Amino acid sequence: MARRAFRRNRRGLVVVALHTEEVELLSMTARDMMSIVEEPPDGAVRDRLYPRAYLDPTEETAQSEYDALVHDDLVRDRRAAFQAIVAALDAAVPNARGQVEITLGAEQELQWMTAVNDARLVIGTALGVTEDLDTDFEPGDPRFEYGVLYSWLTGLHFELVSLLLDEIGEAGSDT
Amino acid sequence: MSPPDIEEITIPDTVEELLGRDETSPDVPWVVIVWNDPVNTIDYVIFVFQKLFGYSRAKARRLTMQVHNEGKSVVANGAREKCEADVSRLHAYGLWATMQKDD
Repeated sequence: MARRAFRRNRRGLVVVALHTEEVELLSMTARDMMSIVEEPPDGAVRDRLYPRAYLDPTEETAQSEYDALVHDDLVRDRRAAFQAIVAALDAAVPNARGQVEITLGAEQELQWMTAVNDARLVIGTALGVTEDLDTDFEPGDPRFEYGVLYSWLTGLHFELVSLLLDEIGEAGSDT
Repeated sequence: MSPPDIEEITIPDTVEELLGRDETSPDVPWVVIVWNDPVNTIDYVIFVFQKLFGYSRAKARRLTMQVHNEGKSVVANGAREKCEADVSRLHAYGLWATMQKDD
């Protein structure tokens, strides 16, 4: 990868470095997503963001109880994560090279990771991404721009997940 | 001993009925299943399993590869309430998780 957007500083905190055009694109995406996670279009995107807990149709009562207990919190946390990105980008001041650097706290690391992934879920589902479908659409294809955005978000997400995997390490329960 | 009249035999509808278990019993074990999807990446799913369940990298990778290759994997189990909590945390991370009785 030519340039990394995410790294750890000497204090062990994740730092994100973005050019002003990237700041604009990410901020616009996060603003769009704030309303989409609140009121997703019916169909595949809604089902993907808020899947059923119970597949069994005889568990309809339990499913309703699950939704009543969980749904509003899920929406609120998703929206808050995009809001955190928007706020951090708004507050950032570009340096002489036209780049912003934002240091993320532990909670923000997770918010950025889940929010960027939620954006991938929305866009990937809307594009009809499959394991075999490349998102490098031809210019002129109506999916071209969102395909480019999806690939870019995937790259950002990959970097952040790599840093967090390094941090969480190999150890843990085997049962 | 003559064979029973076929009309007299009632076949239980479910395993629970066969075993005489109450379906609403809190003792019935449940399982949490994560399903394959084309957006979540392998590394991310490994991270989520480690983060949420405290699994080792090796176990998290094994479960993730089962999801990827076989379409699904049982990643946790327990009482209904515990499984609902697990499913909601997986949903918060954008994974496609469901729960069902462990038949």
